[in-house]
Amino acid sequence: MTTPTDAPAVDGDLGWQRFHPVTPVVKGWKIFVVLLFVAGQQVSTNVSSAQQAADALGWWPVLVGLGVVLLAGLGYSTLAWRMTRYAVGEEAVHLRQGLLFRQHRAARLDRIQAIDVVQPLLARMLGLAQLKVEVAGGTGSNVELSFLREAEAQQLRAEILARAAGVRFEPAPGPGGTVADAPGATPTGTPRGAATLPGVAPEAPEREVLAVQPGRLVASILQSGAGLASVVAVLAVVVVAVVAREIGPAFAAFPILLGTVGYLVQRFNSEFGFRAALSPDGIRLRHGFTSSRAQTVPPGRIQAVSLTQPLLWRRRDWWRVQVNVAGYAVTEQQEESILLPVGDREEALLALWLVLPDLGAQDPRALLDHALSGEGDERGFVTSPRRARWLDPLSWRRTGFALTDRALLVRTGRLVRRLTVVPHERTQSLGLEQGPWQRRLELASVALHSTPGPVAPRVPHLDQVEAGDLVAEQARRARTARAAAGPERWMAQLQAEARAAASPAPGPPPPSPPPPPPSGPVAPAPPSPAPPPSVPPS
Amino acid sequence: MNDGPFDPQGVVWQRVSPRLVTVRLISTAVSVAVPLVVTVAIAVLTAVPWTWALPAVVVAAGVWAVVLVPRQVRALGYAERDEDLLIRRGILFRALVVVPYGRMQLVDVEAGPLDRWGGIAKVQLHTAAASTNAVIPGLTPEEASRLRDRLSARGEARLAGL
Repeated sequence: MTTPTDAPAVDGDLGWQRFHPVTPVVKGWKIFVVLLFVAGQQVSTNVSSAQQAADALGWWPVLVGLGVVLLAGLGYSTLAWRMTRYAVGEEAVHLRQGLLFRQHRAARLDRIQAIDVVQPLLARMLGLAQLKVEVAGGTGSNVELSFLREAEAQQLRAEILARAAGVRFEPAPGPGGTVADAPGATPTGTPRGAATLPGVAPEAPEREVLAVQPGRLVASILQSGAGLASVVAVLAVVVVAVVAREIGPAFAAFPILLGTVGYLVQRFNSEFGFRAALSPDGIRLRHGFTSSRAQTVPPGRIQAVSLTQPLLWRRRDWWRVQVNVAGYAVTEQQEESILLPVGDREEALLALWLVLPDLGAQDPRALLDHALSGEGDERGFVTSPRRARWLDPLSWRRTGFALTDRALLVRTGRLVRRLTVVPHERTQSLGLEQGPWQRRLELASVALHSTPGPVAPRVPHLDQVEAGDLVAEQARRARTARAAAGPERWMAQLQAEARAAASPAPGPPPPSPPPPPPSGPVAPAPPSPAPPPSVPPS
Repeated sequence: MNDGPFDPQGVVWQRVSPRLVTVRLISTAVSVAVPLVVTVAIAVLTAVPWTWALPAVVVAAGVWAVVLVPRQVRALGYAERDEDLLIRRGILFRALVVVPYGRMQLVDVEAGPLDRWGGIAKVQLHTAAASTNAVIPGLTPEEASRLRDRLSARGEARLAGL
């Protein structure tokens, strides 16, 4: 959200700071690399004429030309760096940038959907990091603070999360300041004394819950659809080249190979070293090989979860967990929306537990097992009727939904198994659709609209009366869940409540607390004994 | 019109203004006229008999659109319930959208030049989901601004974050 008019008034109170002085080098280098890449593409399309041009000019002018381009990029980046400043205020994170077109962007703290610390390769080598604050304004509306020193970036992330959580701050007092109340205090425990912090926010403690071994990651990537296609393509090219004793076809197929193999390499690059941890600040994800990324998704910001299993992963029972988080750009790779790139069933269910600790069902494990690999209508699943086999012969037995107290589970797919879970309070709007063939068979499809992302919850080909009932019921449950949902500032109400409990006056009704970190050994057993959060009277 | 799940119990559907038919017919005519002129020119210039099939196809598509447009506009409806807004559309491909007031992020009222000439406007609701296609075309401008104000007030009253 940009605040166009009140920039001058805000300027005075905030502590505007500059980014690290080495930033122009990193950004200028990126510009240079992009230009080099474009030039390289131009050259490669017509190698001979480029060669002639280079011979005619001689090598020195070419090198000097490149040097000039590099310096120009560096100069522009330095100017841009001088004009860029950031500040963290009480209500928003501010960023001022722009040479010709000045821009002042303010991202409200209670609208923050996720905070990422990203380190591209060059920045990592130099010890710098970039802080991305994602709000829900769609692609391009996020606040990017680049580049800061690594420690500073972590510190700033902790501070922004603490403020977004509603923990009140005092600027650093003298040594005899108030007793620290760390935002990492257990949410169900009572915070001691004052609810204010000295200037430096300690990072909330985290507990690692999931990790993906590199071997399993490589095996899973090779066994995915794209992986198999690449392997087959490479083998085919090699076989053709050997049999025909010609190298021509290999060159012709090279761009295609580069594309598919490049996709695999990029996927490995972004998913390497994946670790997921739980903290009072939310879910923390770390992954990346050349450019490392640390994402923090605060409680209640995950809109929908999907667990998918391609056909080749069925033998080992591996699953892939993806989420919708408002504010994450919808790119092709969707690398920010992956909650677990690959994991066996226990780990996938643990990842689901991270998002939704309480499923609201009597026997969650049996329900989830049935949802992941079962078919038919046991355990409260409502499935497509038999006549849907005309429209969906392969998976009509598996298509179905189940409503629990807290979420809607949608089960689809036979070759590629998929389970989509949408918490009731995260339902945006609902759609009921019916095409002409469906009307003939008295079927209808129900779609839950969710924020942009890889998860699209949709139940196709239900009996039309059941579809209408689902829409009405889901609207009702979503309304009730919205009324009972926790606040945007997830710590503020807790602290207010604790202060009220400490004083004799009656306090506000307790909200549902954020998911408590699991106590005891981190056994990857999905957690039916998780205590259900208290629901306030609506 | 009783259409099973597309006609929930106790919902009174409000229709849109018939002037939408006029506006849509005009834009259909424009989008049919250009290919028609081009294909007729081709048929006349080449003077081969079978090329007259092309204008015939264009004319058939135009007639089909003309027959369809009034029925489509009659099938459009919206209803304001206590907690959400219902919008229905379509004859062959029916759709019903349920938008809770608390989830509305933006309400847009739009009128292009043709709409303004025809005396109608379009109201569009935006939620955080990009796939919410909650559009009510063909409202009179007074009804559109009244609806917008009511929706904004109800959205504000039931604000539920993201």
